[in-house]
Amino acid sequence: MLGFLVGEAFRDLRRAGRVAVSAVVLITLSLGALGGFWLVSSNIGRAVAKWRDQVRIVVYLKREPSAGDAAALLERVRGMPGVAGVVFIGKADALRSLKQVLGKDAGVVDQLPANPLPASLEVTPSATAVTPDGARDLLTRLAALPETDEVAGGGDWVERLAHWQRLLATIGLGVGAVLAVAAILTVTTATTLILHARRHETEIMRLVGASELTIRLPVLLQGMLQGLAGAVFALGALVITHSVVAPRLEPLVNLTLGLSQIVFLTPLGVLALLGTGTLLGGLGGWLARAGREP
Amino acid sequence: MIELHRVSKVYSVGPVKVPALREVSFRINKGEFVVLTGPSGAGKTTLLRLLYRDDIPSEGDVEVLGANLVGLGRSQVAALRRSIGVVFQDSKLLPVRTVYENVAFVLRVLGTPRREITARAFDALRAVGLSARAQAYPAQLSQGEAQRAALARAIVRRPPLLLADEPTGNLDESMAAEIVAVLKDIGAGGTTIVLATHQARLAATLRRRTLTLGGGRVVKDEG
Repeated sequence: MLGFLVGEAFRDLRRAGRVAVSAVVLITLSLGALGGFWLVSSNIGRAVAKWRDQVRIVVYLKREPSAGDAAALLERVRGMPGVAGVVFIGKADALRSLKQVLGKDAGVVDQLPANPLPASLEVTPSATAVTPDGARDLLTRLAALPETDEVAGGGDWVERLAHWQRLLATIGLGVGAVLAVAAILTVTTATTLILHARRHETEIMRLVGASELTIRLPVLLQGMLQGLAGAVFALGALVITHSVVAPRLEPLVNLTLGLSQIVFLTPLGVLALLGTGTLLGGLGGWLARAGREP
Repeated sequence: MIELHRVSKVYSVGPVKVPALREVSFRINKGEFVVLTGPSGAGKTTLLRLLYRDDIPSEGDVEVLGANLVGLGRSQVAALRRSIGVVFQDSKLLPVRTVYENVAFVLRVLGTPRREITARAFDALRAVGLSARAQAYPAQLSQGEAQRAALARAIVRRPPLLLADEPTGNLDESMAAEIVAVLKDIGAGGTTIVLATHQARLAATLRRRTLTLGGGRVVKDEG
């Protein structure tokens, strides 16, 4: 029975001809746009997550505390909300780091009359503090410490990146939604033509006592098939684009965002895209059907 | 099998009420072959439509195959129609399907197992003498053949009741005789048949019980 219903749905699709092709193309464009923005957005999301993990706040101290005072200061900072970890870096440690950075030019440092580098605390914010509000609160608390001379760092730029990620996702959803509405209307038009073309079949089916499900299902199925075909084409286009573009962009992305590779959608994302296409097509088919019930 | 009790049907055309049937009562027993005759507009088609629940009466009760058709739900109507074969003046064959596919279509939509479909469809086609034309499309058939194909489609489910609405209306005498012969064969197998025709000569040659309608009433019940 299911084979018959699916066969009827395919027969209907052939009848709809160019209108069905238009619907499939529109669904392909709609899901292609949605999937494309999603792919870009999810990769930026990976970069944001990675950089969030690496955000550090440096608290420069007015003077180098004694070992006992440093231990007490570390204890106080660890007790602050939004702090995941803290490390004390003494003046000598800072100078050693500088020499390492300077490499063969490290000798320049020896010309200095005294160590000019301040002692500092390197604070790792917790996940809740790596947000604009959380970071601001933590910076304020750290700046309020009597030992603090200056506070530097924070995740402002990470937040800006996250903002771009959200913007991209929103644009993707917006463009996808507009195209999706157009796709639904086209599927509805295609299905209306199909309903007209199969009116004799419907009449015979009712006459011989077919169940409502048997009468309705082929129409719904052909809409879903249009949607699924559009989703498969969109995925194909995304796979091809990704395989061609990603290797060329990866060096740039590695340099700017620190991502070694641009990953494709997850299996769940692929399934979601296929499901969305099928749903869009089914909705179009259902709308046409619902408008023409006797 | 069929019982009508004081059945009336009035169609509303805007503010105008047009009576199609007026207090019609009769009974048809299982296995009977009944001819429903009368001039055009006498109410034959309306009466048949009430019997396969394509319409409901304005007044009165219609009982078919033990079910009172007034007040049936959609699924009950579908169940009833699975036991009724209907043939029309125009064959209503699906033009993009072959004769075999038209007959098999009915079995497929009703979920008949695939292995039974071919055998049953060819049984029905043989019963109407059309098995040799199984792969022809409706456009390639004569009107008589098309009507026989429609008959095959109507009987392929072996319904206990067959309703035929002017099945010979578009046919010449020899083709009409072919259809009548097929109907008689089907009737001989125990199927109850109600044949509506405006052709008085045809009704007379059948020599079966004849209900004559006139002005929406049964004016004669003979045979």
